[in-house]
Amino acid sequence: MPSVSVPTGFELFDHTADLGVRAHAASRSGLVAPATAGLYACVGQLVPGGDAQPVEFVLEAAAPSNPGACANLLRDYLAEVLHVLETRRRMLIDLRVVEFSPLRLHVRAQSVSIDDTRSDAQREVKAVTYHALSIVDTRDGCAATFIVDI
Amino acid sequence: MPDNYTGPLERLDDCRWRIPRSYKPGMRVDGLIYADDRLIDAIRGDRSPEQVANVAMLPGIVRYSLAMPDIHWGYGFCIGGVAATDPEQGGVISPGGVGYDINCGVRLIRTDLSLAEARPRLTVLIDRLFATVPAGVGHGGRVHFDKREMRRLLQSGSRFVIEQGYGWDADLAVTEAHGRLDGAEPDDVSDRALERGHDQCGTLGSGNHFMEVQVVDEVHDEHAAAVMGLQAGNVCVMIHSGSRGLGYQVCEDYLKLLHRVPEKYGIELPDRQLVCAPVHSPEGQRYLGAMRAAANFAWSNRQIMTHLAREAFESVFETPADRLGMHLVYDVAHNIAKMEPYNVREQGAGSREQEETRRIRAATVRERGTEGGNEETESPNQCESPHVGDPGVRVLCVHRKGATRAFPPGHPELPEKYCSIGQPVLVPGDMGRCSWVLVGQPASMEQTFGSSCHGAGRRMSRTAAIRASAGRDIHRELLARGVYARARGRTGLEEEQPDAYKDVSQVVDVLHAAAVSRKVAKLRPVGVIKG
Repeated sequence: MPSVSVPTGFELFDHTADLGVRAHAASRSGLVAPATAGLYACVGQLVPGGDAQPVEFVLEAAAPSNPGACANLLRDYLAEVLHVLETRRRMLIDLRVVEFSPLRLHVRAQSVSIDDTRSDAQREVKAVTYHALSIVDTRDGCAATFIVDI
Repeated sequence: MPDNYTGPLERLDDCRWRIPRSYKPGMRVDGLIYADDRLIDAIRGDRSPEQVANVAMLPGIVRYSLAMPDIHWGYGFCIGGVAATDPEQGGVISPGGVGYDINCGVRLIRTDLSLAEARPRLTVLIDRLFATVPAGVGHGGRVHFDKREMRRLLQSGSRFVIEQGYGWDADLAVTEAHGRLDGAEPDDVSDRALERGHDQCGTLGSGNHFMEVQVVDEVHDEHAAAVMGLQAGNVCVMIHSGSRGLGYQVCEDYLKLLHRVPEKYGIELPDRQLVCAPVHSPEGQRYLGAMRAAANFAWSNRQIMTHLAREAFESVFETPADRLGMHLVYDVAHNIAKMEPYNVREQGAGSREQEETRRIRAATVRERGTEGGNEETESPNQCESPHVGDPGVRVLCVHRKGATRAFPPGHPELPEKYCSIGQPVLVPGDMGRCSWVLVGQPASMEQTFGSSCHGAGRRMSRTAAIRASAGRDIHRELLARGVYARARGRTGLEEEQPDAYKDVSQVVDVLHAAAVSRKVAKLRPVGVIKG
């Protein structure tokens, strides 16, 4: 995709008028950081600024026995990330996953302002959708897929 | 699973294709897609017909799961989908049938300015609009409302912002539902949604939203165009935007809140994004209350941008907006669910006699259309409007997701001005070719629950459009076509370039031929602002 630089850990793909993100990692917990970066890449090239503040997200599964519980937790977390981005113009760095189980996703991170002078926000993401949402085991670890509505 | 649709599509006539309810277990009604031979192959190319079949499984759905010719894949419901459910028969309301951008819609403002008069200052005008109307990612609006004001805005819609000075009283009469849905419940809108929307009322957003300065390029119905104040060669302004972050968050909230509700009511769904609740259930009523509030926000948003556009024209042409004749022609929603009365005995394919009448009418309109000249309106074919309490009339919950209301002449919800011609239907195309103004026809009440198409639909993905722009200068190409464009985002013009969209005229042709809506005027863009 010419408009964004894609670091290791995720790739963007076309999905009709929207965009999809496929994140890869050695473990389920490892998916959180590339999925977050993938969401930011859907918006454009966002460069972190200063004013770091600690933040914490704890998402509880509504239906832990559901086979898609982990994917739903990841989606709910990404919806939080989107909310912080849109309403506070801040992004997350230094992510640390405390727990990622079918019961709970617990993430600690630093929230920083966006460096508007070096960033290039191209698209408004309306939502992280439930369509094609998945976390699957792969030969090398895990992969998460989600689609964002532009 | 294949990327294309491989199920049945039975041709009914030149304009309609049926997915029989026998296709999938659980379908309660047939699917019905409006398309001609030019469009149907593209429609088979994605899985949107499968979504039409899925929607046919919703409880209480009446007659058909419908799709307009601009059908393409969406979340749960396809874009271009229309579904009416009967609350008295367990009918449901589904956030997926409205979409994330609640009451995304279009409005058109006419002017007395001819293109020849406007052209010397056109570039300055577009630059001024670009500076005046907030657009793009993260650009908040010039207008801010505190919590108490926002609550009133969510309840009262356009009326509230006009009382604050953003528009004219006359704008209300020519806004669908007068810019306000009754039954809005601000208390059912989350704090998070309010936070997302707090500085976004009066902002364009990004993606396919736009403000265009257009010229009336062709008039196909002189009488209807005259009633709307549209004259060949004159300039007008089209605005396409919706409920911004507030509406997106309402949809997000209720997709999540309603997740377990189908199970509670014993509803089986083929797709999670068709999540729904019976209209009469507490959950359904909550969503409706929040959706109506978001719809009122969207009308307020477009109303404030109308005011900003008038300000820009006043400043550039040094003339008050009323003296420039900047009257609102109409404002239509194309992502919404509304309670509307229909005679369900007559709705649909109907009797052989009705079919024959429809076929003949369609052929007549098609024949006139191919003559290419101006089409004078014959004596308007007044509809016999359904009245609640009459035999066969039921109040249905009509979902329009990427579909526009298209009420015919004589419908009681139309402003007096449009009673004789039918409701204006505004169909935006791409920024290089054209948009259309249509009017609703009686067949819309018989066949499509008073609905028509809403746009062109993409033919290229965003990345494909960017790839196709390599080595090109889209801004310069648009200039060569007589369109001066300004965009906030670096790739905005590339992703939204004309080639990325289907030809909207093909979409419009189908519903003109089907006598669902009739062509009035074709509008050509001369200036564009994008997010």
